[in-house]
Amino acid sequence: MTESRSSDEYIELHAASAFSFLAGASQPEALIERAKQLEMPAIALADRNGLYGAARFHTTAKKCGVTARVGAEIAVSSFGSRLAPPEWLPHQFPAEPPRLLLLCASQTGYQNLCQLITRFKMREATKAEGAATLDDLDEFSAGLICLTGGDEGPLAAALAHGGCAAARSVADKLTAIYGRGNVYLELQRHQQREEECRNQAMLELAASLRLPVVATNGVRYATEEEREILDVLTTIRHHTTLDQAGRLLEANSARALRPAREMAALFRDIPEAIANTGIVSQRLEFTLDRLGYEFPRYPVSEGETPEGETMDSFLARRVEEGVRKRYGAGAKRSLLAKAQAQVEHELKLIAKLGFSGYFLIVWEIVRFCQQHGILAQGRGSAANSAVCYALEITAVDPVGMELLFERFLSENRGEWPDIDLDLPSGEQREQVIQHVYERYGQLGAAMTANVISYRGRSAAREVGKALGFDEAQLARLSGLVGHWEWRGENDTMARHFQQAGFDVRHPRIASYLDLCLRMKDLPRHLGQHSGGMVICAGMLNRVVPIERASMAGRSVIQWDKEDCADMGLIKVDLLGLGMMAVLKDSIELIPRHYKKEIDLAALPEDPLVYETLRKADTVGMFQVESRAQMASIPHNAPTRFYDLVVQVAIIRPGPIVGKMMHPYMRRRQGKEEVSYPHPSLEPVLKRTLGVPLFQEQLLRMAMTVASFTGAEAEELRRAVGMRRSMQRMKDLEGRLRAGMVRNGIGPEAQDNIVQGISSFAMYGFPESHAASFALIAYASAYLKVHYLAAFTCGLLNNQPMGFYSPAVLIKDAQRHGLRVRPICVQHSEGQCTLEAEQDGSLALRIGLNYVKGLRQSSAGTLLAERNCHGAFLTVDELARRVPELNRKELVALARIGALNSLGAVEHRRDALWQVEEAGRPAGPLLEDSAASGRQKPAPLKQMTIEERLAADYAGTGITTGPHPMAYEREVLRQQGFLSAQELEGYAGNGRVRVAGRAISRQRPGTAKGFVFLSLEDETGIANIIITPDVFEQNRVIVTRSRFLLVTGKLQNQEGVIHVKAQLLEPFCCTCGQGQS
Amino acid sequence: MKEELYACVHAAEFPAQALLRLRTDLQSEPVAVLEGRAPLETVCALNRAAYQKGAVLGMTRLEAEELAGLRLLARSEENEAAARAVLLECAAQFSPRIEDVSRRTACNCVLDIAGTERLFGPPQRLAERLRAAFAGAGFRVSVAVSANFHAARLKAAATRGVTVIPSGQEAAALGKVPLAVLGLPTEAVETLAIWGIRTLGEMAALPEAELVARLGAQAAEWRDLARGAQPHAFQPIEPEFRLKESCEFETPVEQSDSLLFTGARMIDCLVGRAATRALALASLTVEMELAGGEAYRRAIRPALPSADRKFLLKLLQLEIAAHPPQAEVLSLALTAEAGQTSQMQLGLFAPQVPEPSRLDVTIARLKAIAGEERVGSPALEDTHRPGSFRMESFAVSRQLRGAQSGADECGGADSIRPRMALRRMRPPVPVRVELRDLRPVAFREGGRCFRIAAAYGPWRASGCWWSADGWNVEEWDVLTETNDGSTVAWLLVSERGLKQWQLEAFYD
Repeated sequence: MTESRSSDEYIELHAASAFSFLAGASQPEALIERAKQLEMPAIALADRNGLYGAARFHTTAKKCGVTARVGAEIAVSSFGSRLAPPEWLPHQFPAEPPRLLLLCASQTGYQNLCQLITRFKMREATKAEGAATLDDLDEFSAGLICLTGGDEGPLAAALAHGGCAAARSVADKLTAIYGRGNVYLELQRHQQREEECRNQAMLELAASLRLPVVATNGVRYATEEEREILDVLTTIRHHTTLDQAGRLLEANSARALRPAREMAALFRDIPEAIANTGIVSQRLEFTLDRLGYEFPRYPVSEGETPEGETMDSFLARRVEEGVRKRYGAGAKRSLLAKAQAQVEHELKLIAKLGFSGYFLIVWEIVRFCQQHGILAQGRGSAANSAVCYALEITAVDPVGMELLFERFLSENRGEWPDIDLDLPSGEQREQVIQHVYERYGQLGAAMTANVISYRGRSAAREVGKALGFDEAQLARLSGLVGHWEWRGENDTMARHFQQAGFDVRHPRIASYLDLCLRMKDLPRHLGQHSGGMVICAGMLNRVVPIERASMAGRSVIQWDKEDCADMGLIKVDLLGLGMMAVLKDSIELIPRHYKKEIDLAALPEDPLVYETLRKADTVGMFQVESRAQMASIPHNAPTRFYDLVVQVAIIRPGPIVGKMMHPYMRRRQGKEEVSYPHPSLEPVLKRTLGVPLFQEQLLRMAMTVASFTGAEAEELRRAVGMRRSMQRMKDLEGRLRAGMVRNGIGPEAQDNIVQGISSFAMYGFPESHAASFALIAYASAYLKVHYLAAFTCGLLNNQPMGFYSPAVLIKDAQRHGLRVRPICVQHSEGQCTLEAEQDGSLALRIGLNYVKGLRQSSAGTLLAERNCHGAFLTVDELARRVPELNRKELVALARIGALNSLGAVEHRRDALWQVEEAGRPAGPLLEDSAASGRQKPAPLKQMTIEERLAADYAGTGITTGPHPMAYEREVLRQQGFLSAQELEGYAGNGRVRVAGRAISRQRPGTAKGFVFLSLEDETGIANIIITPDVFEQNRVIVTRSRFLLVTGKLQNQEGVIHVKAQLLEPFCCTCGQGQS
Repeated sequence: MKEELYACVHAAEFPAQALLRLRTDLQSEPVAVLEGRAPLETVCALNRAAYQKGAVLGMTRLEAEELAGLRLLARSEENEAAARAVLLECAAQFSPRIEDVSRRTACNCVLDIAGTERLFGPPQRLAERLRAAFAGAGFRVSVAVSANFHAARLKAAATRGVTVIPSGQEAAALGKVPLAVLGLPTEAVETLAIWGIRTLGEMAALPEAELVARLGAQAAEWRDLARGAQPHAFQPIEPEFRLKESCEFETPVEQSDSLLFTGARMIDCLVGRAATRALALASLTVEMELAGGEAYRRAIRPALPSADRKFLLKLLQLEIAAHPPQAEVLSLALTAEAGQTSQMQLGLFAPQVPEPSRLDVTIARLKAIAGEERVGSPALEDTHRPGSFRMESFAVSRQLRGAQSGADECGGADSIRPRMALRRMRPPVPVRVELRDLRPVAFREGGRCFRIAAAYGPWRASGCWWSADGWNVEEWDVLTETNDGSTVAWLLVSERGLKQWQLEAFYD
């Protein structure tokens, strides 16, 4: 133990951040920045029951030159209830356990703290705060320094409840657990009389027990102003309003991070309390730099393995087998030697970096998927690796496609490889996740967290509640916060409020606005990442605390994916991809109904598929179905797989903002000559026509022109991409230029190359990732073109996914010749199915899952009864045999025509008339008379076409009949409206009028306020462009009307047809009114 | 049996009609009436021009504002009540028996016009005269006459102008009327809508037994309504029972005794009138018109409704004594609210409590002396604001319970422990404080200077930062020595940021 450097030096040892969730008001970064301003050399973060903010606290502290100490406030149930105002005072404090402050003195201490938190968090059956017991503290006490906490600590509670004797007993217990030298009595001075009274009692206690005292400020926010935020968070935590919260709120603003001078003045009478902060801080030797995380190990001793087998040798053997399988036969045989050389190179590096275990763990997951018939495909930069390809983790051949391994892994990158696996979303993905838990144990694997933060809308809502706005006002206020991706100059919150009639100068509204803005980005609670799993072979709970997720059977670590990356924790992303589930469903349906086997890994290059893609007939296809993709794909005109790779990559915010899309498209169409910044770059840029599109190309450019190694090139990409360190960038540019000089490249070409690299590095897309997605895109296109029924069935059974609603998908499939049959209680299954038509073709039968208001359990019982005892004869029989079906469900079925096939049902209203009686049983006495009444015909008229359509849309969201616009066509044609199909053949270039159902509205961030609208009619989809001015004038019509009439100028750019709207009107389509 | 005949008057969009009735300048303009709290107002009524402009009911203010030229007015319930009174008055010229059947934003009344033929002519002529009379009063109404009460009501709501339904033709006359006029429950509306039943005629055509089997017993009633065959027990509007007495003085009155003399008579009358209905007076409102045009208004609310004339007069006397009118009185009015007379059952062994009426008089006397807000029981508020409390009305039973529980605690250790008392100074005394190193060392109060021997603080409290009622104070507990060597402990307070100090309290 060393002396403090100065008696005035003060280190804050007790600071909570907003990661104490609703009990702290500043981000960890803000605390560090404030500590830096105050020239505080170190600061300890202690959030409630967790280390949620520790990683980012540590990362920021390193940047700012402040030492980040690690600790946590731990709730201990054994100490009873924490201090609350006396009962004779009106207050609303709920009972909760007191919290101790534990600080990590050593790595052992850190590991114990993580285990302690994990212990009591995992003891809970569901996601909960939890609390430790004295036994837990005792078990995990080594390496920790214990401070007794302020108002929220056990000593304050004991003094209030049982006086000095109780406090002495608590102090004795803590001393017995942590040892005499490791317990400090904590003194806080927030200028409150009661607190000072307790401080005096603590000083007496400290003297009598000979325990040291230490000053802290129990910090809850970085600066005094943020006390307001804490008050708002407090009201949210206690479900009350600021006016009603009373003593729950802060008494003053004293819990800010205070300068050493101020703290020294406050504790002028107890200088040792200040001096001890420095002493304790120096005793806290642990920082997160020494996390103690060990790379996961793969158990190679399982099964029959040769003696002396290591992970490296085991991996090498698996890869060798894979290479033989992938390249040993067929067209790829010629690549065998090259592939062997590549994997040898990769394996060497993997072994050198010690990553073999990681590859094997992912390989094991993929193998599990294969054994259980689950489609799995690696995405991201892993597709650059021949090892991943050989292990069947990825499906893109990096040798054949000449992908660059260094983009995935390089020697001096100091970062773990990142492998993401796409799995079919839903049950199968959960099956894989549960397998990982099972294999590595509950304390060996966990999901990464996802910090849910306040966004514009949620902040607006919560602050509104705190200020006491009523429900209607809240809905209105939070509704004002726009959800468009693109925000114009006028789309500020203040402007929205003005438009809604609020006076932004009114103090309450002004403070509302101010608070909303300040609340944004503060963490609200912890969710779980969509698929990131951290694996640490049994010891993860020593590295980071694990807690229950709200989803049953899942556990989650307290850090999010960025924190994991910063702390060097390795994760595998098991991502759910709806299209994978569609592909899986399709390849199961195809053999059954088409009598053909499909191998997704060996789909042929089919001209018909490319022709369909060129026509932008891509509704339902993966990645190429969006409005922007449809608009650009005819320009790109893909004829081979690589064109699709480019297509997937190019319609992204990056390439569009980086202005790469248009040069590429112009060159693709032969409107611009293909040129290269330097002739030596031709091999690198040839396949993208001289326009650098992919990150891998940047690496290759640097390697080619300046003889960079792969690792150096990757370092350059990251330096340019992040723009973090100007100095580092300058050094790299110097090296780049020096390299180019050595290679004889002139100054002008050098400037071009440097400029080229700088401009696209920010926006480039990984080629491997694009290739992985392009594979799925091609598979989806192939299935749609050749197996439309199976593919559509898969799409409809995996909703919601993709860009279009089921109604649009069905209409598109029908336009392509698929017969879609309506829901029927005699024929429909739970999900959509395929049925054979009499002519041998296939039809799609809509499943009962599309009936709105029909419970899954009722549908299940209906199907079980039908399968067990045969078809239903009458409505009465259906109601009797399936008593789970309540009246509302029977009405829902009758209304959409699902009962039309039952005996004695002539039409939908006939069924409705019958179910109203069947749904209300008459009772045994009147059963006979009721039955006789049923023989009379229904007095209701048959539904008209319009009514049937409305009932379909209202009851299922879809219709299997004609499109609503088909019924309006004749009248529209007389008024000069063209259909979507007629637009394509329209010769003129003047004004046109179109009408249809708005199926998508987009305002992309890259489109400068333009709105893209898709109007569907019975012949297809018309694309409408709305300029910002026209949109502002017709905001309500564009955003609210389901059917629209558009008048505008037709634009036909090489087959891509748009109508630039000049006039927009709502259209009252009588047939589509029930549409949701 | 007496033959029945009813005329229904239907004034649609009544909020708009009530506002525009007297605003002839706006009648030709498109006008929409908004209701609800800003900024969530929605359109609740429109005139014809507004409909033509494209406005619809339920539009939000924002949407309505987008329609150029549309005048937006706020709904006024006061205005509507006045207009309704005029409408009923107008109807009363034709029949003494009127039933008010207004719903939502329409104003409807049905007149029993059986036997009025000699006075006003045949039904058609009476209906036209009715319509003309209402038009003269500024209302646009539709009138329907039928021997069936509901048939007249439903037809008037669904048609414009004048309709006379011949007896026995009710079902036919209602055949095309939309089902919405029945105002059925939502579930029934949904069911009938998917059955395709849109008019009363379609509803009437449904077989009764089957309909009842499907929609329940009330469906028979709906069907009868649709057929114009539902009977009705007429409930004419009764004159309002209003306890009000007023008196205008010939010469302005200055003396309160004169006022009380008149007031006593008025109270006698009010109590007597209430007593005829077995009621007592729950509250008494005194209104006076004062010279100079000012109005005087006070309310007296005894703890229990009372019919005790002397007691009520005493309360009135105390109220007037506590708040004497500031000018000569030109008129006096007493309005009373009636309440059930109540008797309190006293328990044999229950502690004796003051009689409620005597307690009321005592509290009223105290309030007259000390002020309205200064009498009652203090209750602490849930806030960090120092010294914050509110006055609650004095309640005997609670105080007794409190005293009892206090007595129980007397034996506890807490009660033995000496407690320091803080004596607040009201109002606080402004003082000048001398500071050294931001700590008070002396203060001056009037001509006296107190040297501070010890100072503890600053104790800080702040709150209500979100409203204009915010506070941010700093407190010091200071010890001063007196000439005789004893010490006095004071509480000094200053608003943070201001250099004004106050002596807030001293410690006993």
